[in-house]
Amino acid sequence: MKLKEIVKKLNLSELTKIEDKDINGVFISDMLSDVMGSAKPADLWLTVQTHKNIVSAANLVDIGAVVVTHNKKVPKDTIELANRFNVIILSSDLSTFDIVSKLIEIGLKPK
Amino acid sequence: MQEERCAHLWEMADVTYGFIIMQKCSHCRKISNYFTEELKPPMEKYREKEHFWNYMDSTQSIRFNLRCSRCNTVVNFEELLGLMMCTGCDEKCDVNIQMKELAKERTWIYVAFGYLPVEEKKQLTKEKIAILEEYFNQRRKSSKSKIKIVTHELVRDPTNCYGEVIMDSDMLALTTDK
Amino acid sequence: MPDDQNFGISIEKIKNVLQAEVVIGDELVNTEVTGVYASDLMSDVLAYGKAGSILLTGLNTIQSVISSYMAEFKSVVFIRGKKPAADVQEFAKDKGLILLSTKADMFEACVSISRLNEGYVSPDLSLISAREDKYRTIHEFMVDGHDFSSAGMVSTQIKSILKTIGYDPQLIRRVAISTYEGEMNIIMHAQTDKARVILNASDDEIIVKLIDEGKGIPDVERAMEEGYSTATDEQRAMGFGAGMGLPNIKKNTDILNIISETGKGTTLELKFIVKE
Repeated sequence: MKLKEIVKKLNLSELTKIEDKDINGVFISDMLSDVMGSAKPADLWLTVQTHKNIVSAANLVDIGAVVVTHNKKVPKDTIELANRFNVIILSSDLSTFDIVSKLIEIGLKPK
Repeated sequence: MQEERCAHLWEMADVTYGFIIMQKCSHCRKISNYFTEELKPPMEKYREKEHFWNYMDSTQSIRFNLRCSRCNTVVNFEELLGLMMCTGCDEKCDVNIQMKELAKERTWIYVAFGYLPVEEKKQLTKEKIAILEEYFNQRRKSSKSKIKIVTHELVRDPTNCYGEVIMDSDMLALTTDK
Repeated sequence: MPDDQNFGISIEKIKNVLQAEVVIGDELVNTEVTGVYASDLMSDVLAYGKAGSILLTGLNTIQSVISSYMAEFKSVVFIRGKKPAADVQEFAKDKGLILLSTKADMFEACVSISRLNEGYVSPDLSLISAREDKYRTIHEFMVDGHDFSSAGMVSTQIKSILKTIGYDPQLIRRVAISTYEGEMNIIMHAQTDKARVILNASDDEIIVKLIDEGKGIPDVERAMEEGYSTATDEQRAMGFGAGMGLPNIKKNTDILNIISETGKGTTLELKFIVKE
């Protein structure tokens, strides 16, 4: 599924510059160590973490885009670093659990 | 019996969660670190050879080994304490210089950091770094960019390095400080 | 929130749909939960989680059960096949917390549960945006006055909550230290199992009240004297040792009020002014 379609249908806020790309799956974790160990390229990563090391983790495993849930404020330095490394960060005011329901509705399912 | 060459397909194994403890010697001001799995890491001063280590800081991190899913070989990464992305804070740093070059080829640099002080502790070998790199690149096969891993010994000034460490900060923020 | 008996999901249903194993609490599996919280960040769970919920987490440590217990959750599900260690299981068993383990990852687990399509309550996200305007949050914790091994649990939870809300780190440190000292006092000296701590945090001030029904402090005025930090025979006779900490509490609070009556109990009120 295309990222821009997901952004539109889920009403996500774009915090960094964004390009359209294919999203292959969904990965949910707030533990960067888990991201490092289990996330896949082109995944949509849902998390409440906002520290700039999420850019480091996202870039290492080539995450499709990061969605910060729970209406968490993402600090400027995280956004700046993300823009530098072309990591896309989006935001939702839904909780992680609630946003999953929406993802299913638009057709993103577990494999 | 001849050993067959296996085209290794790596996966993480023996993942352990713990803390990286940073210490400073009150004598020589050197900084050292170690990994502990204890939930409440000890914070007392202690003596080790000519050093008097004082607790400085701790962050949650993970340790892992890599195992080949094809031939079951396990490569031990006990000298690896974490991975850090270069953010280009130091013009003169070798890591930064490499990063600028590699960015043109869509390759991202990550620093594998290990034990301090570098002169006194066992470091990751070139072979192990290559395997680590292979692991991360294998997972990105579908991606248009690559990962290169370098040793932390390349960092010009570790005490002033602004690299972004992949760590679980604040996960276990529930230790009291007194 | 409706108090209709049928509101909620039974843990048994969740267990089935996740194909999960019940690690602790088989006999309680018919309990209903009214909220689902998916997170690995325990400070968030403490700050925003609603009582009566179930936690889905990958954080396989004792912190997840301590936080769930403090947030009055009914159950914790460890994802990705993670199995809690013996100390985690023991804590859960002791507190009546139900533990499950599922091979599903977080996305799969959330999908399966949402498909159950039952009613549930979302975490209180209003607190996050409310930080912009004036707000107040109140949390109450029970202290097991005899449980030395849980010493410090309440102050660590309070510290987490304040960190999540975003108070100044120096202020948080002062609150954490004084609350810790107060909590230690209860456990070491009050000799009661009836004690609680109330946190009242707002834009202008943070108030921590430590209330116990223990043996009381005989001479409060004396106990509050600055510099009364070394353990003397007199102090020991009053039941105070080197770990008393009242002077330390006083040092860290803006306003300290102590009401105590021997044989009846002690209330410590710690007030901290929030500067902008």
